[in-house]
Amino acid sequence: MHKNKLYTVLALAALVALALSACGSQPAAAPKELQVWIEWGDNPAQLQTLFDKYTAQSGVKVIVTAPVETDKFLPALTGSQPPDIIIRSGGDLVKSYAKEGLITELSGAIKDGGIDLNDFYSAPLQQCESNGKIWCLPWGTDIYALYWNKDLFQAAGLDPDTPPRTMEELAQFADKLTRLGADGKIEQIGFIPDQAWGHQELYAQMFGGFWYNKDGTQLTANSQPMLDALTWQQQFYSKYDYDNVTGFSTDFGNQYMSPDYPFYTGKLAMMVDGEWQTGPNFIAKFKPELNYGVAPFPPPSAHPERAHTAVVQGTVVIIPANASYPQESAKLLAWLESPAVVAEEMCVNANLPTSKKAAQDPCFTSNANFKVFVDLMADQNAKYMITSPISSEFNDAYSTVEQAILHTGADPKTQLDQLQNDYAQKLQDALK
Amino acid sequence: MQDWLGTKNVFKQKSPGVHWSRRTRQNFWLGMIFLLPWTIGFILFTFYPMAASFVYSFAEYHTRKPLVWVGLDNYVAMFTDKLFWISLENTLYMVAIGVPLTLLASFLCAVLLNLKVRGQSIYRVIYFLPSIVPTVASTLLWLWILNPQSGVMNTLLGYLGIPGPNWLGNPNWSKPSLILLGMWGMGSTIVIYLSGLQDVPTHLLEAAELDGASWLQRLRYITIPMVSPITLFNLITGMIWMFQYFAQAYVFRGTNDLGAPLDSTLFYSVYLYQAGFQYLKIGYASAMAWVLFLIILACTLLMLKVSERFTYYAG
Amino acid sequence: MDTDLSLERSRVRRESEQERRASRRRKGLRNFLKSLFSHGLINLVGLFFLIPFIWMLSTAFKTDQDVFHTPPRWLPYDNVRVELNGQQLPLYNVRTAQGVRKLALVKIAAGVGTFVDPQDPLQQLQSKFQQGTTVLAEPIMQISFQWHNYPDAMSRGSRPGVGASFWVYFENSLVIAFFTIVGTLLANTPVAYAFARIKFPGREILFVIVLATMMLPYQVTMIPIYLFFNDFLHWKNTFLPLIIPAFFANAYDVFLLRQFFRTIPEEMCDAARVDGASEWQIFTRIVLPLSVPVLATVTVFTFLYAWNDFTGPLLFLDKPNMFTMALGLRDFQGQRTMVWNQLMAASVVFTVPIVIAFFFAQKTFIQGIKLTGLKE
Repeated sequence: MHKNKLYTVLALAALVALALSACGSQPAAAPKELQVWIEWGDNPAQLQTLFDKYTAQSGVKVIVTAPVETDKFLPALTGSQPPDIIIRSGGDLVKSYAKEGLITELSGAIKDGGIDLNDFYSAPLQQCESNGKIWCLPWGTDIYALYWNKDLFQAAGLDPDTPPRTMEELAQFADKLTRLGADGKIEQIGFIPDQAWGHQELYAQMFGGFWYNKDGTQLTANSQPMLDALTWQQQFYSKYDYDNVTGFSTDFGNQYMSPDYPFYTGKLAMMVDGEWQTGPNFIAKFKPELNYGVAPFPPPSAHPERAHTAVVQGTVVIIPANASYPQESAKLLAWLESPAVVAEEMCVNANLPTSKKAAQDPCFTSNANFKVFVDLMADQNAKYMITSPISSEFNDAYSTVEQAILHTGADPKTQLDQLQNDYAQKLQDALK
Repeated sequence: MQDWLGTKNVFKQKSPGVHWSRRTRQNFWLGMIFLLPWTIGFILFTFYPMAASFVYSFAEYHTRKPLVWVGLDNYVAMFTDKLFWISLENTLYMVAIGVPLTLLASFLCAVLLNLKVRGQSIYRVIYFLPSIVPTVASTLLWLWILNPQSGVMNTLLGYLGIPGPNWLGNPNWSKPSLILLGMWGMGSTIVIYLSGLQDVPTHLLEAAELDGASWLQRLRYITIPMVSPITLFNLITGMIWMFQYFAQAYVFRGTNDLGAPLDSTLFYSVYLYQAGFQYLKIGYASAMAWVLFLIILACTLLMLKVSERFTYYAG
Repeated sequence: MDTDLSLERSRVRRESEQERRASRRRKGLRNFLKSLFSHGLINLVGLFFLIPFIWMLSTAFKTDQDVFHTPPRWLPYDNVRVELNGQQLPLYNVRTAQGVRKLALVKIAAGVGTFVDPQDPLQQLQSKFQQGTTVLAEPIMQISFQWHNYPDAMSRGSRPGVGASFWVYFENSLVIAFFTIVGTLLANTPVAYAFARIKFPGREILFVIVLATMMLPYQVTMIPIYLFFNDFLHWKNTFLPLIIPAFFANAYDVFLLRQFFRTIPEEMCDAARVDGASEWQIFTRIVLPLSVPVLATVTVFTFLYAWNDFTGPLLFLDKPNMFTMALGLRDFQGQRTMVWNQLMAASVVFTVPIVIAFFFAQKTFIQGIKLTGLKE
């Protein structure tokens, strides 16, 4: 595809020039205030309080906007007045931002701010690297593990203190933990494979692969591990009529963070979810009476060596390419990434600290359930999220394919072949 | 109802000629001054954006990148883009099924409201009120009504012994759900039909009744032809509106879930929004917008042409 | 249908007094059945329009737990509570060795509740809530309307604790609607007047262009307008991109106003012209004062449009304290939890101004719809 590099109609050129001059004419003097956008902030007031401490220390006012919907970031990054720092809930789009020239390469900021990269756990940091450059820094991270309801295990005749040891056993347990009503409708379900975020990555890695190769340069959507993962997931739906399960689980997402979440009410016996559930803002707040356990997600029986595989994902900090005060943004970044701040913020929300020093804080080590996740992150089997410049489009397409397979019983092989066919070339084009 | 825009004779007028009288010239400038609020608005908010999006549609562009010409690439890409065809198909479903169904339902409601029953005016208010509920509020309300677990719809169906579907979660039911939501707010169309029904001359109906025509026959041979211009008007406006269907679909699924389940609510405008604001393909989104414009134009002209045979204008 | 025959039949019928009475009785019965049927039908369809409102109100009065009760209930319920040592404690039916007892719940820890007997607060008892699938402790419920959902929802907003409550959204919506109305009235009336009353060359063709813009989908102009306001004028996160376009005429309102202006007798304007009045004077002194009804219609519909608008605020407003009601409500839904009762309460508040407007200006509404067939 050859593209002519031609400038457009006179009027348009003038317009662009005007817009550029408008940007350029801004004084680089000290900022009145810095804007911080946080995608996944459940408690904006708490976040504002945290950043007020930076104000107290540096005299620069910081305004936090949280939560910010995903749609808002791209227009902001391409717009003329982006926020000074963006904290996104995942590194999935970092590569596409970098490719389009929307974000700042951070090596300068890291050096100037004295940020110690060795203090970061390696898995979360890796999602920020592209072609040897660093485009984001992790700020707290998430890992998913298996939660189970001990009372329901007991009622089903299972040992309440022994979670499934293999993925096959998990399916058997799920079967025992599913109850149908007199009308055949599901009243309680053992496991719903796609009920949580970040589940696809986990299952695929358990089966030994992913939808990209290691560095995200090849699409492997129809590879054997992907096929295995989706076939394994499909059984939880096919066993009890697809509509029955989807009807039962449609509303689960809407009840998250409420006492009516099905895992809390005993409608769901096992779930894959993140470390925050063990903290003060979830089970302890909404359903303190819940009798639950948490353990690493089990590997497939044929591959016990993959035990403790977990996919580390979660929050990353980026600086927009056209940030008004790049130096001030970098200073704020350095403060933000200091172990003390990381420890304080992650402790409040029970998220995993990305700093090794911060992880020593008793807040993270005293809670046995939380420690399951800290150990997973430090495990040699911990995997990072592999992303590509087409992540945004591909992830949407993948979730549609997954829905087709799980919710309507489409054939995994056909669907994945089609997906591979549709996007393999797009990835190559985007990487050029 | 003839010539409802009052513009039928536009093209029959004599050309203005080069020599305007003083009076004409004066009127021309006067007219131009009165028209200023429209002219400036037209240039700023219609003509310029149209030209700009036309230019973008032949390019790859966003504000952080210089504009790169790609010729017809954006238009050609649509042919092989599966999602484009899915979104077009979903939209055509709504246009071809949703619009006529809603029209039929509002016509029948208008007929009901035109019956001489006690409390007629109260019924009229009840039928009309939903149409003024703000879109976001009514969409959220129906999201809640159609909730398969705790929603009132499936509970009501349950009273009748009908197992309700998983409305918005099922790709076969998601579009009918949206049509249902649209029907709840069709009050303004009902009002238009109602006024049309009231314009049907009573003497015609009475004469037909005397001649022994049944109620159905009167409806079929008098009322329906008499309101056919309204039907045409509503069909066209409904179609144009439906091609741009966005807010309801957006609110129904939320940002991260646009088009779900299974792309069944990925409407043309939703996909266009996604391409422009989520995938940063401004050129492609602009090309899609122009194709949409052409589709709407073609459908409108087609409908006007076909309707000549079916529409009855009194007088 | 054999018309002659039926006419003949009715003539025969007229001859017999007795038969006429019988027929009237028959007809009365038929009419009764007919009206029963039409009443039934009109009520049934009416339910379709009415039930969602009832459901909205009912949900808005429920407690958080009650919202998700399956099967759903029409009326709001809440825990029965007793006061004990200044605390409101929920009452439970607890299975004990002595049978089911009414006990108050004091605290919960690790799946076990501590209960006390309200009559004898010293007597404490520990019980699990559930043993497998058997319920051991079940809350006692009563009908109760949660009026506080309304103030809670309004002051909570979609972003608790950062000064972006629904009160703020409500105010923002009002401000935008007000200026949109002012702009619409100022900009559209002279344009419509020119199209209705000034005979200038090219009028008809220009009017067709005006109407043709109605067919232009918003999507064609959306992105350039967005870039224009956001990047060129730096108007992001202000109300200007939503208000300023209203100060330029739009096809719908021009059409609506022109239709009305054309009904004002031409002779009145001509007479004024003869008296030496300028077009501007005729427009402001004669036509506008006579057009109060249609100006009211435009006002009401502009309010409706501005109050309703979702896409505009979605594109241009990022900061929660700038949100409108429509955006705030969507934002409320976009959070991780659906707080349905408060969401419905906020929806009620969002809807009420329009319903009030409707009851005050019913005629204006209907007139406007009939004039243009406006949608949304």
